[in-house]
Amino acid sequence: MKNNPIQPAASDRLTAVKSVFLEVLFVAIIGAAFAFGANLISPRGLALTRNYFPAGINRPAPAVTGVGSPRDVANTNPPASSPAQLLAVRLKEQGLQWVDGHQAAQLFHDPRFQQGSIAFIDARDEQHYREGHIPGACEFDPYYPEKYFATVLPVCQAAEQIVVYCNGGDCDDSESAAITLRDVGIANRKLFIYTGGIPEWTTNGLPVEIGGRNSGNLRSTNK
Amino acid sequence: MNTSQSSWSRTAADTFAVLARWLLGAVFLYLGLNKALHPVEFLKLVRQYDLVQSSLLLNSIAAALPWFEIFCGLLLLAGVAVRGTAVMLIAMLVPFTVLVFRRALAIQSAQAIPFCAVKFDCGCGTGEVFICRKLLENFLFIVFSGWLLAGYGRNLCVRHTLMSCAAKTSPTEAS
Repeated sequence: MKNNPIQPAASDRLTAVKSVFLEVLFVAIIGAAFAFGANLISPRGLALTRNYFPAGINRPAPAVTGVGSPRDVANTNPPASSPAQLLAVRLKEQGLQWVDGHQAAQLFHDPRFQQGSIAFIDARDEQHYREGHIPGACEFDPYYPEKYFATVLPVCQAAEQIVVYCNGGDCDDSESAAITLRDVGIANRKLFIYTGGIPEWTTNGLPVEIGGRNSGNLRSTNK
Repeated sequence: MNTSQSSWSRTAADTFAVLARWLLGAVFLYLGLNKALHPVEFLKLVRQYDLVQSSLLLNSIAAALPWFEIFCGLLLLAGVAVRGTAVMLIAMLVPFTVLVFRRALAIQSAQAIPFCAVKFDCGCGTGEVFICRKLLENFLFIVFSGWLLAGYGRNLCVRHTLMSCAAKTSPTEAS
């Protein structure tokens, strides 16, 4: 049978398929080596064996702001699938306590905050922290904890109550931060998650501090 | 006349295929860099899909995928192992598209909004996007990849085919 120039012979096709298969193998193997090597070298690379989500690898259930205290949740019987209930269950499972927006504001205005007996910990990344955090809050990104231990641990050891927050909603970085602090020896009884986080804080018209800790650059937020 | 038309269409197809290859390469390079520069953000977004239960696997996906996309983008831009790279792109794009589609359906159901109004950060490297636009983009990328797999886009390649045993004719050359 004569070969048609438009339709290559079966042997040519087989050769082409084999060639593509070998190329796929090449791209997959060299690509994987390149990818893991680049991650290893990159200063922002991920540590493969580390558990970045100590609160659980499963996606957190979405939460609502102003959830309230454990007492409130225990005394009510909302639907099992309500965000508040799911959040309460999640925090209980982790053995963590939490505060709502009102309680967080009370702790902020408590004179003990100025004395260092109450501490606020911001569990968001550096960029968000610098854009605005609760005045006097320490920066503590739980994904790079070793970078912050030197400044955060003395503050936490001196404090009697530590309020940890992030972006509210389904953000669980505050839980990760609290668990990380607990794992390095901070007493669990001191740790409280502010579930509403910075969005609720600003919605409530409370001030935020721009830049570094105690920079003095305060910005009031409108209710 | 027919020969002239055929020659023109061949040149146009070749030129368009090379542009598609460069576009795909540039897009994957850009998307990969966006993720590689913010690996923790990407890790959180991958987690949202509930794909794996092991932190080692989750970390591996989030650590390697962006750099693998960069690698594929560079290969396409340079024109090295183009068909093998095109297969890898299809192998990534098809499951990604299914995952993004499933996630969008879940969001649509939860928020009770029209499907095309669903907007979320799919972890694709471009921030929040409308789902219909994302699906259309992915469909186009899959079509382009399939086109490159068919052997188009050979011009201006450093080494289109790696293996010497490969067929030396492109679809356009064959015709």
